[in-house]
Amino acid sequence: MLDIRDLEKRWLHYKIKSYIPHAVIALSVIIILSITLFVWDSSDTPKQLAAQEKTPSIEKELDIESIISQNSSLKTQTHTTQATIKSPKSPKPIIIKETTTVASQKMLMKPSLNFMKKMQNETSPYYNESNHNQMITPKKRVIKPKPVIEETQELVVEEIDTQKENPTIEKVHKINIERRNAKNDIAEIITRFKKNNNPALSLFVAKKYYELGEYKKSYNYALLTNKINNEIESSWIIFAKSLVKLGEKDMAIKTLKAYIRSSHSNNAQLLLDEIKSGKFR
Amino acid sequence: MSSSIFTTSKEVFLDVVNHKDYVQLDRVSTIYQSLKDSIKKPLKMILLYGKPGTGKSMFLTKLYNDLSSSQIVHLYQTPILDESEFYKTLAQDIFSIKYSGELNFTQFMKIVNKSDIESIPVVLLDEAQLYSDVLMEKIRLLSDTRTIKFVITLHKTEKEDLIAKEHFQTRIWETIELENSSPAELKIYVQKKLMKANCFDTANMFNKKSIHTIYKFTHGNYRDTNKLLYTLFDLYASYEENRQLNSIGTANVPTKLIEMAAIHTGLINA
Repeated sequence: MLDIRDLEKRWLHYKIKSYIPHAVIALSVIIILSITLFVWDSSDTPKQLAAQEKTPSIEKELDIESIISQNSSLKTQTHTTQATIKSPKSPKPIIIKETTTVASQKMLMKPSLNFMKKMQNETSPYYNESNHNQMITPKKRVIKPKPVIEETQELVVEEIDTQKENPTIEKVHKINIERRNAKNDIAEIITRFKKNNNPALSLFVAKKYYELGEYKKSYNYALLTNKINNEIESSWIIFAKSLVKLGEKDMAIKTLKAYIRSSHSNNAQLLLDEIKSGKFR
Repeated sequence: MSSSIFTTSKEVFLDVVNHKDYVQLDRVSTIYQSLKDSIKKPLKMILLYGKPGTGKSMFLTKLYNDLSSSQIVHLYQTPILDESEFYKTLAQDIFSIKYSGELNFTQFMKIVNKSDIESIPVVLLDEAQLYSDVLMEKIRLLSDTRTIKFVITLHKTEKEDLIAKEHFQTRIWETIELENSSPAELKIYVQKKLMKANCFDTANMFNKKSIHTIYKFTHGNYRDTNKLLYTLFDLYASYEENRQLNSIGTANVPTKLIEMAAIHTGLINA
């Protein structure tokens, strides 16, 4: 008969012995894991700090890249502006448009301060030259993005503001004041209008013709503007004025009344009153 | 379950070479059949080799029992190490010639040449690795005469390989290797052995897991398996005697008990 107790004892020893390697492995795995986790955690904070530190440098790098890319665009811009100076008859709205696109590009690219300063310095002579007469005033607006470039945020604000205020019309107004006798300019703008069907351009042309006394043409372009966008007040006014000048007073009154009904425009009402009273002939 | 079943089961695994205990397994049966076929062929020598406990002795015993009724077969389970004694034993057993004095190889060869036996006698030599190289060389020469056919078993060691290569490479026409069983064969072996002794209950106690555990310790070696299972059922008998059978259960053979048996037999170094 076998000694079961002794055998069971030996078996227990054997079992314990056989579990030791497993226990050691499990323990070492746990230790390794905990060490790894600890190291991971501790290395996480410096990493984050490093990442935080790195971010601006990356931005800077990006800035440099954007500057490089923008350099060319700005240069082109400068070229165009210079070209406008050389040939002062060239239409200014084009320049305005270009600058706005450049500004929007710069908004995305986030140009650096240094670069902008540099650009300021580079372009300043041009402005000095061009700042002699009033005609340059819109150009100042064109070049304005340069200080704006320094702070992207400001640019954004300006962009939004100009959009809200319907900048094209305003700009066109200013241009109108300065360019009364430029028939060639009108032709150029007509060409541009034919290309992009911009109501601002057609309105500009209408106003120009009206100022030049070509009421039929101003009537036509105002009509075109109204067809493209029937909510431009000044277009309706020019339209009505042209009609009056063409001897179509009743038609002008009828048109203005219809427009006032839908828009409740004060200016239109004033013009209507003036036409009715005979102040405007 | 009767109280004696564990004792009966234990005795089934007593490590004795008895042809009646021979368990037919598919692979083993095929090998055995090829060995039987080789005897019929005009081969000079047949070498049966394998690791200890792979059933070589059982094979020879079984072969002896199967062939003894139909032809002259002599089995020598223990080697006759003295050369003269070896020849004298063969002369007496095969040719019925009693030789009182010393008998050397030349004298034995004369007896062999004079013999008028119609069929070639088969001499089965177990544990042939124990024979001296000189005697093995004489056995080789004897087999060359084609008057005696030898079937020898060897343990598969480097030395035996050397014997096989150097002495018998050209003369042994049939070499049969015996190997340990696979887990599936081991299960059949254990269950067949138990069922042969009508121990059906204990045979059903062995499932895949328990056989796998046994295989882990014995590597399918029949001798080790017999030893382990003998101790296993001895343990059962002891638990039964101590009325502790409920603590271990009888539905399946628990791993704990197999491990305890392995510790006792030395298969586990604990």
